[in-house]
Amino acid sequence: MPVVELQDVCKSFRKGGEIIQPLRHVDLRIESGEFVSLMGPSGTGKSTLLNLVSGIDQVDSGRIVVDGTEVTTLSRSRLADWRARSIGYIFQTHQLIPVLTAYENVELPTLLLKQSATERHRRVDLALEAVGLADRAAHYPRQLSGGQEQRVGIARAIVSHPRVVVADEPTGSLDTDTSEQIQELLQRLNQELDITMLMVTHDADVAAIASRRLLLDHGKLLETDLNEPGKTAAG
Amino acid sequence: MLLPWEYGVRNLFRRPIRSLLTLAALATVIMLVFLMVGFIRGLEQSLVISGDPDVVLVYSVNSEESLENSAIAARTPELLTSSLSGIVQRFGVTHISPEMYLAARVRTQDGHSGFGLVRGVKQTAPLVRRSVRLLEGQWPGPGEVMAGQLASTKLGTPVESLDIGRTIEMEGQAWRVSGTFAAGGSGYESELWCNLGDLQTAAKRQDLSLVAALLEPGASVAEIQLFCKQRNDLELRAIRETDYYASLQQYYRPVRMLAWVVVTLVAAAGVFAGMNMMYGAVSGRIRELAMLQAIGYRRRAILTSLVQEGVILAAAASLLAGAIALVFINGLAVRFTMGAFVLRVDGVAILIGCAVGLTIGVLGALPPALKALRQPVATALKAV
Repeated sequence: MPVVELQDVCKSFRKGGEIIQPLRHVDLRIESGEFVSLMGPSGTGKSTLLNLVSGIDQVDSGRIVVDGTEVTTLSRSRLADWRARSIGYIFQTHQLIPVLTAYENVELPTLLLKQSATERHRRVDLALEAVGLADRAAHYPRQLSGGQEQRVGIARAIVSHPRVVVADEPTGSLDTDTSEQIQELLQRLNQELDITMLMVTHDADVAAIASRRLLLDHGKLLETDLNEPGKTAAG
Repeated sequence: MLLPWEYGVRNLFRRPIRSLLTLAALATVIMLVFLMVGFIRGLEQSLVISGDPDVVLVYSVNSEESLENSAIAARTPELLTSSLSGIVQRFGVTHISPEMYLAARVRTQDGHSGFGLVRGVKQTAPLVRRSVRLLEGQWPGPGEVMAGQLASTKLGTPVESLDIGRTIEMEGQAWRVSGTFAAGGSGYESELWCNLGDLQTAAKRQDLSLVAALLEPGASVAEIQLFCKQRNDLELRAIRETDYYASLQQYYRPVRMLAWVVVTLVAAAGVFAGMNMMYGAVSGRIRELAMLQAIGYRRRAILTSLVQEGVILAAAASLLAGAIALVFINGLAVRFTMGAFVLRVDGVAILIGCAVGLTIGVLGALPPALKALRQPVATALKAV
């Protein structure tokens, strides 16, 4: 049973006077615990696909099922509740709230879950520990480096124990060394915590850390052979 | 589920100068509201307090509502006493106060001058005007006046100009200030009281303006009104004092309406100030608000948090304005045609001021918050 399943998904939007269709009859299955990277040139709809899977954008047609829930049929408020439970979102520019400490930023998603304060604090502590920032919990984002900020963003994405974590260019705004550290962290979280990950990137080296690589080209999703990066197979 | 309270509070410190300026603007607006409501409450209170339900005023039927224009026969008090039974009598003294009431130009010893309200009374006046209390000095003797504690405000002169022992000039005669009196916030406090005979002599008049009579408990004003109708040669009318001041309240209704319009306009200005601040605060946080939606916060929760920010700021401004109003505005004397009264920042004024403040907070925050949340999350996440 796949954790993420896209069936015949189409998505278009209007840009100026032109209608762009980045996703044309896309099918995709991601199994539990898989780490999938999604590559493609700019403007091909990688982020759009990510947004559709995480329920912050709506399909034109087709069906998306995540962890047994058909997200394409949920209302806006039910989608919000579902996201709080099932999806972790890692942003390119970490999107931390500057007036909250690292701890409070990580705690934000847990406030939406029905759980005791003790359990909430335990989860936040564990998430910060998992990203190696337990000693920076009381720091504000302005007191952290770019890499540390992204780690806090990752802790926030995993703190609710979501079934799926989506990451939109998670290393896009980092230097090479920090980017490598974040890649290692994502790989470790995928393997140790068995989190299903879908990551958008335009960087082939970053994409290489995934167990499965996909390429989005002209609205179609293509599977890239891990052993022979140049070779693709229809997805 | 709502966002943490700290989020709303700390957001106000993101742009401290902007928040501080908005706080100052809102506090000014709410202070103006306190000022206007204090004015309305003071005016209303002054008119309400001025009326005693047990007192009946008898004055000329031709004077409309203006006692200054009233002229009735000097023998009216005797006629009323001998013809009516409902007027209070104690130890052989009838509680009836013949009075001459006029507006006169008053010049003080230090050269200031203004129009004052002068009431010529007899020793029986305090028996009928029961709110009058001598604060210092003594009851006016020949050639003396007793000044109400707001009389200087009515004249537009410094308070010291009516200190005991000072001399004033009115009706072509010099008068010495013999004492100061209070009257529980009623209109008498803006008047100068002197001996009736002295005023009649100075004004070269022998008539009276009115007669005020204190009724026995349960006595009806109808008996006096009937007397006035039967003795139509005297051209008198009788009215309960509370009804007289109620009719004055109607007279000042346009003033109060205007004051309420000003309150509304000032409050609207406050809403725009609040809106301006919140537009600025929200426009820089479009991506942050989208992120909150992306991680599962409902729009309503985010909207509540943004409104919370506006309300916190408005509440702080209300508190600040309330404190300043209580210290500097409450009790401030104001001059107007009928006399003078003090601005009253009472419980009602505080309630109205704070309600206006909170409304400003809510209405100022709602449109920017709604605008920010209307954007699709996917688009807002990419906003610059």
